[in-house]
Amino acid sequence: MRVNPFYVSNLSDALNQTQASQQLLTNEISSGTRVNSIGQDPVASAQNVQLLNEIQRDDSFTQTTSLTTGLLQITDSALGSVVTQLNKALSLATQANNGTLNTSDLKAVSNQIAGLRDEVLSLANTSYQGQYVFSGSQSNTAPFSLNNSTSPATVTYNGDSVVNTLVSPNGQTIQLNVPGDQIFTTAAANVIGVLNNLVADYANGGSGAGIADTASLNTALNFVGQQRVLIDNSITRLNAASSVASTESIQLKAVQTNLMQADIPAISTQLSLTQSQQTALISVISALGSGSLFDKL
Amino acid sequence: MGTINAALSLISGALDADQNALNIVSNNVANASNQAYTRQVPNWAENQPLYISGLFLGSGVSVNGGISQRDRVLEQRLQQQQQLSAASSTLLTALNTLQTGFSPSATTSTAGDVGSDITNFFNSFTQLQSNPTSNPLRQQVLATAATLAGDVSSRAASLNAQQVSLDQSANTVVAQVNSLTVSLAQINQKIQSLSPNSDAGPLEDQRQSELTQLSQLIGINQITTEKNGLSITTTGGQLLASQGQAFSITTGAVGGVTHFFVGGTDITTQLASGGGQLGGLLTARDQSIPTVLASLDQLAYSVATQVNTVNNAGTDLVGDNGNSGDIFNAPTQVAGSAQAFQVVLTNPDKIAAAGLGLGTGNDANAVAFANLASQAFVNGQTPSDYYSNLVSTLGATVSQTTIQNTALSASLNQLQNQRNSLSSVSLNEEAASLQEFQRSYQAASQVFGILNSVFASALNLGVVTSVA
Repeated sequence: MRVNPFYVSNLSDALNQTQASQQLLTNEISSGTRVNSIGQDPVASAQNVQLLNEIQRDDSFTQTTSLTTGLLQITDSALGSVVTQLNKALSLATQANNGTLNTSDLKAVSNQIAGLRDEVLSLANTSYQGQYVFSGSQSNTAPFSLNNSTSPATVTYNGDSVVNTLVSPNGQTIQLNVPGDQIFTTAAANVIGVLNNLVADYANGGSGAGIADTASLNTALNFVGQQRVLIDNSITRLNAASSVASTESIQLKAVQTNLMQADIPAISTQLSLTQSQQTALISVISALGSGSLFDKL
Repeated sequence: MGTINAALSLISGALDADQNALNIVSNNVANASNQAYTRQVPNWAENQPLYISGLFLGSGVSVNGGISQRDRVLEQRLQQQQQLSAASSTLLTALNTLQTGFSPSATTSTAGDVGSDITNFFNSFTQLQSNPTSNPLRQQVLATAATLAGDVSSRAASLNAQQVSLDQSANTVVAQVNSLTVSLAQINQKIQSLSPNSDAGPLEDQRQSELTQLSQLIGINQITTEKNGLSITTTGGQLLASQGQAFSITTGAVGGVTHFFVGGTDITTQLASGGGQLGGLLTARDQSIPTVLASLDQLAYSVATQVNTVNNAGTDLVGDNGNSGDIFNAPTQVAGSAQAFQVVLTNPDKIAAAGLGLGTGNDANAVAFANLASQAFVNGQTPSDYYSNLVSTLGATVSQTTIQNTALSASLNQLQNQRNSLSSVSLNEEAASLQEFQRSYQAASQVFGILNSVFASALNLGVVTSVA
């Protein structure tokens, strides 16, 4: 049977193929990536898009939590200081109510409580990065203002009761602030109102409604403690969400690396096989290229 | 009864025949490297015998030219395979260029990856939640928006540019097709007049060579007509050449791209599925690129529309309530959205992070922005899933075409082998023939010499010296 006399040109096609696969393998080694074009592995490429999306979302959330933790810690420490001031006011009021103090002492207590109230008021007007922490969404406005012209003095809340939230990658909604009117001026436990009342009670050297107001102050103190727990909870949840996100990110990076990373030993083996094949082909071609029957004529 | 005279003329005829055969061998060897050449074998024919006095007397041999070793069915089969293979490799080249814009990124920080851009854009809103009034965070939103819009629109621009260059290549191919059909029509006519009943040898070689060239360019059907003629049509059945007449393909712009006509009929669609380079170019131009472009358009349209809607449903830093304006330029229709995708908002304070009517410190609208990332608003998918789908669809097309192309070239190779094993020149074979004809010529001349001396003996009637 007759054969194709041009079969050497088929061999050179094969040589082209080995060169192409050499190029591909070298490319994989140099980039360290198994999939260098989406046509090589469409499924892995699509998964890669989604994995990178989740990894980036997790990483970005971890960054966001570190920005947010500052705000929550400022809020928490402000509330902590408020509790300290209220405790001081409580012990002063209790002292004033036991009937052993004279008029001037009572006036002094009134002044001291007024000082504590101003302290609490300034804590309630705490700001973080230029934004007031306790004014709801009105973060450019100082939340509380005091009117001393009346007796007892009155306090006005200038913020609103809107709550900010942060949504974690797995959908948790974490509260980022507590509006001031929910801590300092609620109807049930009006912290600043009670302090104002106490100031007024002892201002004239008497004790007025001191006993009742002291009881209210105690209630208010407990209430502030409870509200502080809200913030503490947010800090805990934020930390938890952040660590979940960073753990998830690490796991996903491992998955993504497995999916996309070039298997260097396997590629090197393939490369060396391809090289031997190429060398063999070249020798075959050069051996076959020479000689036909014409040489013997 | 035979005569010495007759033997002499018989053997000189054999010398002529051997010379003819040697001539054919030389021609074969001369064309050994010519892929379009079809080898010839000498057409040996025994001369008509003489019938004298009840006896048949042989009268030698002659060579009536060479016979081209050709199988027209095989040639045609090879040409069809060339059409398929050319279409698929042209398409593959175009797809390989196309997919470079969507290369998988190895890490999350890869620049220019649309998938990362989408994620970064929506993440910037999550970061904004931590401090809704922060200028740096707002600037970051605008920066990621600009990156997303820039990358999407540059992808769209390069797709459009590729489409234009494919269009130009298609035009060039059609010009080549038109000149080939004209030349085929001329050869057809020559073959019909010179060799109406048998293989036209070198002329047929030329016709086959041009058909092969044509097959690289366009999908064709061949129909053999009377007197060894050939009609050529497109695979869709439009006549390109018949007898001595060629019908050229004309071009005209339809909807921004070139369409192709034969005698007023628009054959663009059938050419796209027909094969040859033209088929591959048109498939890439009219199907592959528009599909990807449409996906990008849909992505850009949905993202721009949704993000603008959300921005106009909140309160920004400068006091707008529900009228903060658009972040991206508002697309009016899906088509063309990708290339027109850009950020029009310049003042970061006009990003409406707060809920409608709420204080500027609120982040309800930033939450709404960030939530878009997980909402299925792009054709029923989240933006990231939609992009991931685009990648896998395009990747699958490339991968299929690659596999198909490999299979087609393998079978093309086999057919080429089959064709070459029948029709191309083997130097070994020619060397053997050469030797054979040389021996035959030598033998015939020996016979001539001996006959000559026999004739001399007869003339001299046994006297050796009279006639030498």
